[in-house]
Amino acid sequence: MLAATSSTIRCSLRRFIHSGSASPPSTSAALELIRSQPSRYIVATLGGRKHILTPRDLLTVPRIRDVKVGDVVALSAIHELGSREYTLRGNPTIPASTGVSVHATVVEHTKGAMEFILKKKRRKGYQKLIQHKQPFTRLRIGDIEFSSELDSTTVHSQA
Amino acid sequence: MQPVPLFRARLASAPANGHVAFIPQIRKLVFEYCNDWPSSANTRTFLQRELIPFARDNPHVEIVVKQRNRKEPVVRGYYVNGRDKVIALNKLEVTGIQKKLQLLLDASGLKIKPLKRRTVESTTEAARGIWSGLHAERPQL
Repeated sequence: MLAATSSTIRCSLRRFIHSGSASPPSTSAALELIRSQPSRYIVATLGGRKHILTPRDLLTVPRIRDVKVGDVVALSAIHELGSREYTLRGNPTIPASTGVSVHATVVEHTKGAMEFILKKKRRKGYQKLIQHKQPFTRLRIGDIEFSSELDSTTVHSQA
Repeated sequence: MQPVPLFRARLASAPANGHVAFIPQIRKLVFEYCNDWPSSANTRTFLQRELIPFARDNPHVEIVVKQRNRKEPVVRGYYVNGRDKVIALNKLEVTGIQKKLQLLLDASGLKIKPLKRRTVESTTEAARGIWSGLHAERPQL
């Protein structure tokens, strides 16, 4: 999740409702199309799994040990940024040079409910009851930020 | 043209702690200890040695120390949602007490519930929209 890997980006946008497909010339044109729609989502890897995330939602992953409550972390593995009709997909992730960035705030470190696991081998007199509480970290996803450079200047805007 | 009615319930916002501003959910820690009994010995050591640096490291928490003689040592954490967590300290060493305090600081006051299936809790509507059979293209075989 936190490792940086070189990745390329495929600007493949498809309009699902209308016929034909849009192939914008550049990433910034693709981001403009996505920004034109009312809401958007990302697909990001966190805790070894992919999740579909929108701003303001609460993500629960297995405990991340090197963050504290209140820390703001940047999601480094964003696979997809999409809106209702357009999707921008990376190969495998959208590189940071495109300007797409999402941050998450660590809200708490908790444990789940107690699980009782019974281990038994029959006719051998072996049985034991394991009590286990899985530790979790909960993160609040922030706004999806991306800039589409219309000129040489970068216009940073919140989504 | 009729003005659009403004419904009062629609003006309330859904809570999203941490989205823009993060508010720590723990607000108070109350330490209860006995002055004489040996079950409180480790708690007394912690209160004498470690409590003041701990309070300095966590300025957002109100810390109260109560002497309760002839009772077992306990720490109560009070949270912003009105709930509290109580942890007994009588069988813990000083490092164990520190770990339990870290658990109280890290937690929100929510009731412990199974979290393995509860991955994403979202109040946002789906960005891609909800599929409807009546409005989709008919598949051609």
